[in-house]
Amino acid sequence: MALSRSFVLGQHYPGTSVVHRSGALVKLVSTIALMIGVFVATKTVQYIPIAVFLALGIGVSRIPLRFFARGLKPILFLIVLTVVVQVFFTPGTPIWQFGFVRITREGLGLAGFILCRLVLLTLVSVLLTASTSPIELTDAVSDLLKPLSHIGLPSAEIALVMSIAMRFVPTILEETERIIRAQVSRGARIGEGSLIVRMKSFIPILIPLFVSSFRRADDLAVAMEARGFRVGSPRTRYHARHFRSFDAFILLGTAAALSGVVLWRLFL
Amino acid sequence: MSIELKNVDYIYDSGEPFEYFALRGISLHIDDGAFVGVVGRTGSGKSTLVEHLNGLLFSTRGDVIVDSDIVRNERAVLAKTRRRVGIVFQYPEDQFFAETIFEEVAFGCRNYGFSKEQVEESVHKAMNTVGLDPERFLPLSPFQLSGGEQRRVAIASVIAMGQKYIVLDEPTAGLDSGSKLAVLTELESLRQTANVTVILVSHNMDEVAEFCKEVVVLDEGTVTFQGSTDAFFRDAELVERTGLELPESYRLARALKECGSTLAVNEGSTDRMLDSLRLCVSDLGGA
Repeated sequence: MALSRSFVLGQHYPGTSVVHRSGALVKLVSTIALMIGVFVATKTVQYIPIAVFLALGIGVSRIPLRFFARGLKPILFLIVLTVVVQVFFTPGTPIWQFGFVRITREGLGLAGFILCRLVLLTLVSVLLTASTSPIELTDAVSDLLKPLSHIGLPSAEIALVMSIAMRFVPTILEETERIIRAQVSRGARIGEGSLIVRMKSFIPILIPLFVSSFRRADDLAVAMEARGFRVGSPRTRYHARHFRSFDAFILLGTAAALSGVVLWRLFL
Repeated sequence: MSIELKNVDYIYDSGEPFEYFALRGISLHIDDGAFVGVVGRTGSGKSTLVEHLNGLLFSTRGDVIVDSDIVRNERAVLAKTRRRVGIVFQYPEDQFFAETIFEEVAFGCRNYGFSKEQVEESVHKAMNTVGLDPERFLPLSPFQLSGGEQRRVAIASVIAMGQKYIVLDEPTAGLDSGSKLAVLTELESLRQTANVTVILVSHNMDEVAEFCKEVVVLDEGTVTFQGSTDAFFRDAELVERTGLELPESYRLARALKECGSTLAVNEGSTDRMLDSLRLCVSDLGGA
């Protein structure tokens, strides 16, 4: 149980806000655009349009800030490391010096810039995954890839593979726990001893896991074909997508934020 | 020497908003050499209870005592407990990983540091206990067996370790009726010859009535009954309240009684019920 619970899958936070209800494709496109915007900016102040729009989105989504804080946690180390490196190793005008340790004005500025960049990138993607279920997200990816199917990319199949993989992550984690419990009950000591012994101790877990995954895949293929699935044949969707007024708002807001950054960089 | 639980609570996600009592105030006592059934509807806490017996889970409150040692999350205690209590999980054939049945059955013995000769001996003994010819089966791959044979190899892989207590979670699920009976009969003979305590978790009331002298009945994480299996199945109301079904033989006995028949059927098992019925009918001069 512990494994599957501690693993935050896709970080979806179910809700009914307008952000949750708006189209996944719109949100995906907006996220990509905002990320491009983050990289376009060359000064910290130029992040303002994106930050304002993002703050608006976070506020409207009614997802608790705690949830976003948790999303930042995995990259905390990266943030601290880059900030420290920037602060201490950027040459420029020193504002504080102790022996060979020196902090420069430029270093502080650059550190703040990088910090904002990392935080913004993370928060944008957390908002996307928190407000969109994995299934909606894969549908959106498939829509996004659709134009490429004209040049032979099997976009629908790619999306299907993605959604099946996501669907089975919790199942396989549970299976792993089941097998670990059984082998531990047979006296297996997992992850103990020297490197070689430790690696060998995973064999009694990995082999049954492979066997059951292949069996599961086989069963799934039979079940899908029995219900009429054919590779390459067009599929319909259970959930019809409607363009909502809030979708237009998101697109306009994104466009505004992006052009804000570009204009700021070009003219100010 | 016995297994004893004293006021055991187990709470999933204790302290979190979604905390959930899987076990609540469980107290029970399992004597050495017993054949005990653990029954209850799905979600009544049977599997959670089982995982406490060899320290896969630890009680939130209360003590689990195996042979006078309290089961705690300490290396030495855990090693001792797991050496005493073997668990055969549901669909145990899903754990197979070795190239040969010999390697599969020997896995546990090797983990517990048996010598080469001891491994050989235990593996052969375990295979004989589950009714599979060692000479024929040991060199085969466990993946090429039939379902019933796989289940027996899986059971052999646990009993080869020679533990005092064997817990089996639905060992007959998905087997044909011949294999079901054979597996349970083998466990009963193991109990008699090696004085192994057998704890059987089951949904099949017929097999519980036939093989278990005692039952522990769970409902919503509490023990609603512990005692003789016969006494439990005679209390049809209690059986119903705990979401269980009467075994065939008890149902027939009850039906006969309700329609005022004086025919006395033996409830122990369906076979014995049929025998006693034949006897009664021939006494009455029927066909």
